[in-house]
Amino acid sequence: MRELSFRGTTVRFGTGRSALTAVDGVDLVVPQGQVVGLVGESGSGKSTLAKAAVGLVPTTGGEIALDGAPLRTRRDRRRLQLVFQDPHASLDPRMSIGESIAEALPGRRGRAARAAEVARLLELVGLDPARARSLPSGLSGGQRQRVALARALAAEPEVVLADEITSALDVSVQGAVLNLVRDLQRQLGLTMLFISHNLSVVRYVSDVIAVMYLGRIVEAGPADEVLSAPKHPYTRTLLDAAPAFGVALDDPVPADDARLDTEAPSPHDPPPGCRFHRRCPIGPLTRPERTICAETDPQPGAADRPHRAACHFATEILEVPAR
Amino acid sequence: MGRDQWKAALRNPVGAVAAGLLVLLAILAIVAPIIWGDAAEETDPAALSQGSTSDHPLGTDALGRDILFRVLVATRYSLGLALLATAICVGAGLILGVLPAVLGRRAGRLVTATVNLAVAFPGLLLALFFAVVFGVGARGAVLAIGLAGAPSFARLVQTNVAAVSGRDFVAAARVAGVARFRLIARHLLPNIGEPLVVNATVLAGGALLAFAGLSFLGLGVQPPAYDWGRLLGEGLDRIYINPAAALAPGVAVVIAGLAFTLLGESIAQVVGVRAVRRRQPPAMPPAAAAAPAGTDAVLAAEDLRVAFPAPGGGWTHPVDGVSLTVRRGETVGVVGESGSGKSLTALAVAQLAPDTAHVTADRLEVAGVAPLGRTGAEVRELLGTKVAMVFQDPMTSFNPSMRIGAQLAEVTRVHERQGRKPALARAVDRLRTVRVPAPERRAHQYPHEFSGGMRQRAMVAMGLMSTPELIIADEPTTALDVTVQRQVLRLLKDVQAETGAAVVLISHDIAVVGQLCERVVVMYAGHVVEELPVGALGAAAHPYTRALLASVPDLATDRERPLATIPGRPPDPADRPEGCAFAPRCEFADDVCRTRPSLAAVGPDQRAACWHPRTQPLDLALDAVTGGQA
Repeated sequence: MRELSFRGTTVRFGTGRSALTAVDGVDLVVPQGQVVGLVGESGSGKSTLAKAAVGLVPTTGGEIALDGAPLRTRRDRRRLQLVFQDPHASLDPRMSIGESIAEALPGRRGRAARAAEVARLLELVGLDPARARSLPSGLSGGQRQRVALARALAAEPEVVLADEITSALDVSVQGAVLNLVRDLQRQLGLTMLFISHNLSVVRYVSDVIAVMYLGRIVEAGPADEVLSAPKHPYTRTLLDAAPAFGVALDDPVPADDARLDTEAPSPHDPPPGCRFHRRCPIGPLTRPERTICAETDPQPGAADRPHRAACHFATEILEVPAR
Repeated sequence: MGRDQWKAALRNPVGAVAAGLLVLLAILAIVAPIIWGDAAEETDPAALSQGSTSDHPLGTDALGRDILFRVLVATRYSLGLALLATAICVGAGLILGVLPAVLGRRAGRLVTATVNLAVAFPGLLLALFFAVVFGVGARGAVLAIGLAGAPSFARLVQTNVAAVSGRDFVAAARVAGVARFRLIARHLLPNIGEPLVVNATVLAGGALLAFAGLSFLGLGVQPPAYDWGRLLGEGLDRIYINPAAALAPGVAVVIAGLAFTLLGESIAQVVGVRAVRRRQPPAMPPAAAAAPAGTDAVLAAEDLRVAFPAPGGGWTHPVDGVSLTVRRGETVGVVGESGSGKSLTALAVAQLAPDTAHVTADRLEVAGVAPLGRTGAEVRELLGTKVAMVFQDPMTSFNPSMRIGAQLAEVTRVHERQGRKPALARAVDRLRTVRVPAPERRAHQYPHEFSGGMRQRAMVAMGLMSTPELIIADEPTTALDVTVQRQVLRLLKDVQAETGAAVVLISHDIAVVGQLCERVVVMYAGHVVEELPVGALGAAAHPYTRALLASVPDLATDRERPLATIPGRPPDPADRPEGCAFAPRCEFADDVCRTRPSLAAVGPDQRAACWHPRTQPLDLALDAVTGGQA
């Protein structure tokens, strides 16, 4: 297992007026043997970043490197494996789960060796090896996601990228898959990029949390610190909005301020300055003197701020969330 | 598709006829030349160009050969040539269709463009062109018909390949490093096989006809060889003398063409989606006399059942005896996993269950109306203004080609017969109520110009166009981001406070329900398993409710401990265990649980359907509900 690093990674779709920069100069390091959780809303570019890493979408700028060596060829990319969101779509309905897993095994090996390896992997993800011949249609969502994990591990990857792997699962199954991810990571020392829109899920498995907004990483740091003392107001907004027992909807949070925009801006036409400023509870819409937010992009210089926060006022201590 | 479906296809008239004709043709093609081959070549100088006689039932041709024998013997050649042409067409089509997926982007585009251009040429014109290029004769005709059909088949392959290439499992195979050719052979082709097989079968029928046409025109089979087309051409010269000489090969062509087309049709029926026919519902116990309406109940359902015809006969009951009461102004959350029947319960209550569903209840009253047994028009009239629905995906519940304002206005224009202007004014006003910014401008926009959260607001506004007594929100925030989810939930809460309408919130997320609702109804496998006030969630009695609460991580979950899990999976509605449906997954289950428990009081305002209700407070939820977390 090695270290995966994104350096100025940019992904742009389309040209001219319809152009969209889905990932905009992302710098992110996934250290060896650690889980980096990537959170953000839909459209923030987190899935695109993962797809760019495994080569499913071409990058338009920057580089993606494994242990400092840029990934260029298909062979390079194979050292990263992606687990998809929907296990109903990510397994070939015409192929037995054993074949699906065997297909990802690198190198040539005999029939018996392949079968043994498939059995070992199925056992590793908590499935009965005798089921290798069953088709995906005979499996539940949770079991299919286990198969998808086994297939990713079959390729003997240096880094595993998990893209919303519990979002399509029922809550009673989600827990089991999260437990599996955590066990596998500890057992095998996996290096992982774990993507989810759900902060609670990301928190449960991650060592480091990175928050993405409109194609950029706006805050990244050790999981506990990011969640207990966020430095970017967007992280704070996400934390406040997460549903939890005992927190009534009536209790106002800073982001409920009626002066703020309720919608995320269009990624086709991101606002100038700080991209979050029209939704920011401590930005120019609530504090008119903070014109800098609407004029100057806080991204440069983020590396010098705590949690590499893309916020001009990151050093200002934000109130710690009530939970 | 299983073997049973193929058997069923054989039993249906179309399939039976197709199979019968094909078997007949196959036997003829094999046997006829062996038995009658010589007889068909035998010239009879004594009987030239005869009509029907006892020796020659269909007469003879100019050389005195028996036409019946010749038609029968020609089966092999005619079918063989048609199948060969089809094979060429399918082969060339597959190669052309798959090429764009194999080649790079540029070369792929070139192939696609060429195929598109070729599709634009009429097939017969191409066939004639190729027939001239390859020379007149059977070989030329086979190549001509095969190649002329290739572009349209290639296009079909391309479209299907493109559709499957976009799916995750193909992306997953790419990431796993599967080589291109293997990707095509193992992942793409098997998954587009069905439409291709159907199409190839129909193509074979077409090729047969085209071949007969070319031979008839003299461009196909040349003497001394003969096929049906040439026999038809020869017979047509003497149609007034001996009509049978022209009719017999014609009939043969029609029968063979029909056989292929019907075969294609039956394959399509087996592999494609078939409409479920409405079946007579099962006999239900007669509904009890309607109890007098509860004074403050806006929704009262007793023993509500929703049944669907099962594929193998019989009925499945995704909703199996749900009793639910919602008082005026109350906010009730219905929680359950997929397949628990929660959404179907809501749809049945709002009289929106699918057509094939059969809804029964001992008693069902919605806003003072008993909708069961009334016609659709009556129900719409009575409930149209009293019940509002908010769906998970507002994109599909708005008409994409109509402006938002006009869609909202339609509600009052239909139900209150208001004019266009006042209706639109009210629509703008309601959009303002749900805090859509710049409502005048946005009322003139189309649904796709709204973000997910704004569409959901507009959906709520639509419900507010009249004065609903009940708002049913089915997973209204599942497709939304957390920040937007919070806004929409707050909006529902405000609307509820302002209008006094009762809200039923259906969700898989017990935390969301806990935030908005006063009471929670937990569903599992078509039953209500527990009903309790939100404040009592920490004292949940049913093991399923407790497991649900414990298995969802929140921002305070201990990261060092594994999450609680529920072993097994929810039962299939068609195959539910006897007794308590949760028993196979329940650690407390014993023999008593083989009898189905009914809802019984386990605490103040709390009822659970469990033989072994838990009394221990649930530490995690209790802490959270009382807000006692650090």
